[in-house]
Amino acid sequence: MSGDTILNVAPIEIAQSRERRPVTAARETVFDIRNLSVSYGKTPAVKDVSFEIYRNMVTAIIGPSGCGKSTFIRTLNRMNDLVPSAKVEGDVLYHGQDLYASRVDPVQVRRKIGMVFQRPNPFPKSIFDNVAWGLRVLGMKDNLKDRVQHALEQAALWDDVRHRLKKSALGLSGGQQQRLCIARALAVEPEVLLMDEPASSLDPIATSRIEDLMHTLKRDYTIVIVTHNMQQAARVADLTAFFSLDVLPDGARTGLLVEYDATEKIFTQPSDKRTEDYVTGRFG
Amino acid sequence: MRITLQEDLDSINANLLEEGQLVLRALRGALNALREADAELADEVIAFDDEIDRRYISIEQGIEVLLARQTPVAVDLRLVLAMLHTNLHLERMADYCVTIAKLTKLVANVEPEPRMIQAFEEMGSRAEEMIRVALDAFVNRDLEEASSLVDLDELIDRANRRVVRQVLELGPDPARTEWGLRMIVVSRCLERIGDHAVDIGEQVAYLVTGEFREFTDASHPVERS
Ligand SMILES: Nc1ncnc2c1ncn2[C@@H]1O[C@H](COP(=O)(O)OP(=O)(O)OP(=O)(O)O)[C@@H](O)[C@H]1O
Ligand SMILES: [Mg+2]
Repeated sequence: MSGDTILNVAPIEIAQSRERRPVTAARETVFDIRNLSVSYGKTPAVKDVSFEIYRNMVTAIIGPSGCGKSTFIRTLNRMNDLVPSAKVEGDVLYHGQDLYASRVDPVQVRRKIGMVFQRPNPFPKSIFDNVAWGLRVLGMKDNLKDRVQHALEQAALWDDVRHRLKKSALGLSGGQQQRLCIARALAVEPEVLLMDEPASSLDPIATSRIEDLMHTLKRDYTIVIVTHNMQQAARVADLTAFFSLDVLPDGARTGLLVEYDATEKIFTQPSDKRTEDYVTGRFG
Repeated sequence: MRITLQEDLDSINANLLEEGQLVLRALRGALNALREADAELADEVIAFDDEIDRRYISIEQGIEVLLARQTPVAVDLRLVLAMLHTNLHLERMADYCVTIAKLTKLVANVEPEPRMIQAFEEMGSRAEEMIRVALDAFVNRDLEEASSLVDLDELIDRANRRVVRQVLELGPDPARTEWGLRMIVVSRCLERIGDHAVDIGEQVAYLVTGEFREFTDASHPVERS
């Protein structure tokens, strides 16, 4: 016997790619959405949606125009309250608490669950005041400068604007304005960031910066993003929910959740034919 | 600057280099088992292949997901395709190590011919060197180092041709003849490992230049001694 062995070196761990993390890994539920339906007047917009959104993950909502993505994401911080005709049925539990219970203050909800919109919408004020605005409203006035700087740093905008904080926010580029809106949302220390098509008005470079930003921010925040751009969902999201349109017996069209899974699954082996048709571009 | 894409590329790349190290271990094990006619070590080499296969599949899946999610283009796309090919070449090399181990077991009771064992040791070291050169060229995107694999391969090819002659000289003993015939296959395995190293070198050239061309054209061979 030679006593030789090739196994005398410790076996190298099979390095799993991050996405292959077993589905059983502990995940903390932030939103538990149960049988959620929303209608505008008598017209249903989304029907019977149930799924869970997890902490420190990016969850993407994709689907064709009009399938209720914006309607859905707005239920997560009660933005639909501002639309008089909107009627919300079913439950949205936030950390197990009913978000729509009568004692819940919608202003507090929107503080914890911030939102960034499709079009950058800075106030016609200075860059500093844009970020400080929410802090002042909420009385978070201690260390105001530090808080503003921290928010701008988190939004990867600090280096661009540190020397022009007193200048008007409207002088920023579109991509900078969008990052300013993200900073404004982050300043009040939310837990969740909702983004409805945050990059659809931006050029590819600015889009790429926003996507990198999401990748960094998910360490500290839970992110839900609505996007028209399937490739964007593929790039940034850990989990993807595909919504589509269903024709009801009375001929009305309504949005529904077709499939919800790990993003890599949705883009390599979706379970539902409708998802496959959509992600391969064969949909209608 | 596309953090996720870069992280994913780096992770697959690291995985691939580790696979290369595993293949080197399998080859060393196979060569030692052959030299010592050690059936137990040969079994270990055969079992070790599962680990390499797992690595192979994990890289393959990583690339599938990366293609689906990150839509790489230009140099990123070439890197992904080169990694896809290289992964397959490494896995094939490991399969040849298994074949050598199996042949070793089949003739473990026959006294090996020292002169030929010496020749295999030399071929094996050359094959090991070629794997190292190929991986190194891949890491450093080194076109010159990649091209040098052609000359190294020529040395293995020559040694392979000598083995046939040596087997013919083994004499009439049927046990020795059987041993010799098995050893022709062993020799062929080492020679094929060298070919796969050259193929990895071609992937490096593709990665660097953006053009794929074979270093040598097997269907129009140059005159050989
Ligand atoms: N404020 C509103 N009042 C009445 N109907 C509305 C209102 N907002 C949306 N809808 C209707 O609800 C349905 C879903 O709209 P929603 O904006 O949620 O879709 P979407 O998936 O976000 O579409 P897009 O991709 O075009 O943004 C549509 O039929 C739309 O016309
Ligand atoms: Mg919308």
